[in-house]
Amino acid sequence: MGLLVALYIGFIGVLSVFTADLLLIVGVMSLFLGGQFFLSDRLALYSMGASEVDESEYPQLHATVSRLSQQADLPKPRVAVADSQVPNAFATGRSRDSSAVAVTTGLMRTLDEAELEGVLAHELAHIKNRDVVVMTIASFLSTIAFLVVRFGVFFGGGRNRNGQVLVAIVASLVVWVVSFFLIRALSRYREYAADRGGAVITGQPSALASALLKISGRMDQVPNDDLRDTSEMNAFFIIPIKAGVVGRLFSTHPSTDQRVERLRELESELETSG
Amino acid sequence: MSLLDSIKSVFGVGAESAASRSGDPEDLFGMSTAYLTMEADLGYSSAGDAGLLFNGVDSSEFRQAVEEVESILEAGAKDTGTEFEVRDDPRGGEWVVLHDPDFEDLVTSVHFAADQLAEAGFGSRLLSGVFSFEDADGRSVYWIYSFRRGAYYPFVPTGTNTQDTSTQVKLESVLDGELTVESDKSYWYPLWPETPGGDPWG
Repeated sequence: MGLLVALYIGFIGVLSVFTADLLLIVGVMSLFLGGQFFLSDRLALYSMGASEVDESEYPQLHATVSRLSQQADLPKPRVAVADSQVPNAFATGRSRDSSAVAVTTGLMRTLDEAELEGVLAHELAHIKNRDVVVMTIASFLSTIAFLVVRFGVFFGGGRNRNGQVLVAIVASLVVWVVSFFLIRALSRYREYAADRGGAVITGQPSALASALLKISGRMDQVPNDDLRDTSEMNAFFIIPIKAGVVGRLFSTHPSTDQRVERLRELESELETSG
Repeated sequence: MSLLDSIKSVFGVGAESAASRSGDPEDLFGMSTAYLTMEADLGYSSAGDAGLLFNGVDSSEFRQAVEEVESILEAGAKDTGTEFEVRDDPRGGEWVVLHDPDFEDLVTSVHFAADQLAEAGFGSRLLSGVFSFEDADGRSVYWIYSFRRGAYYPFVPTGTNTQDTSTQVKLESVLDGELTVESDKSYWYPLWPETPGGDPWG
């Protein structure tokens, strides 16, 4: 994470040297991304087809979320359910007060009570650790850099102004590529952290491990036609939708095997420390 | 949120540290004096019931700790006359439910149970201490102590998922100062009864 911060500070330095219209693009894009940030909870729920459910519809789910929130010292988030066969869950919301956890009906069908608690606790740990904010900020300049590369080539290509634009484009390209990998590393780190946090909330690392194994076994078999546009949401899923195709460096989540392994270590740690 | 909490969040350890923080059973004694105010100023009397809600762990050590709680309560029952039972509610919570017409003894017994779990190293699994009161018409109101927050809040269910907020605010304003009342209402976690008029422990 320190690397990412250093990279961004350097990047802002390089960018600020250059032309005003470039800064204008950055300004406009900041507004756009800011808007996205403030709408993120609604966007996320909407894109997953999840809708908020009240106490009378899912009393058990609400009670579990409430109890786990109390354990994590969090206000109870809103609870949403998506009608989907794919067993999955996610957390969203820029602040603790606007946050929501969502689960699919497939998840509730697939997992037993302890496993479902494990997954919910993992999502609550994301909220407690403010991962939406951290990842949004981390992705922000990366997105800017990406846009500078695209629009810079587009606008600057025709009439060349003493090569300054070119330097900005090259710098942005470097920033974008490097930050791409750093963000993914950061995301994997925060997945481990949420696994650990979730396991401490329930006191049962093995339940989350077994849930992960169950979900990942199912994930490969289930078609994901209805989830085409959700890749940017992956950061907050319990298990990313597309796994195995891209290399480990490109992955936002550690492999299920590695996560299960760490949870087992935690289990024995908890057993022995009592 | 404090600066320290923010830093913990940035490094991704906020959830772990919050969930493993131990509760302090001593705060339960605040209820002993609040009870007098409930009776004298508001006309509520103790329903003679209290519950200790905790988040169980599926380990032999934890089960052993719960058994120790049971034996210490059995031993204590000789002095206090407090009856108790350990039970699961239908929504996944685990309870020690205690009955004693003497409110002082009730508080002492809840403290016994909570303290025993904390001594066994499971203080972080304590969620709530729930004290039941009723008015002249037999309508139940509760004071809930949250071990995670170190503060009390009132709870007045009117069915299985609705609450009487105006009575809650009244209770809050009268008892504030005597009890440490949770000021952030988003932490007033409801503990719904299974049936209308039932207790949170089901």
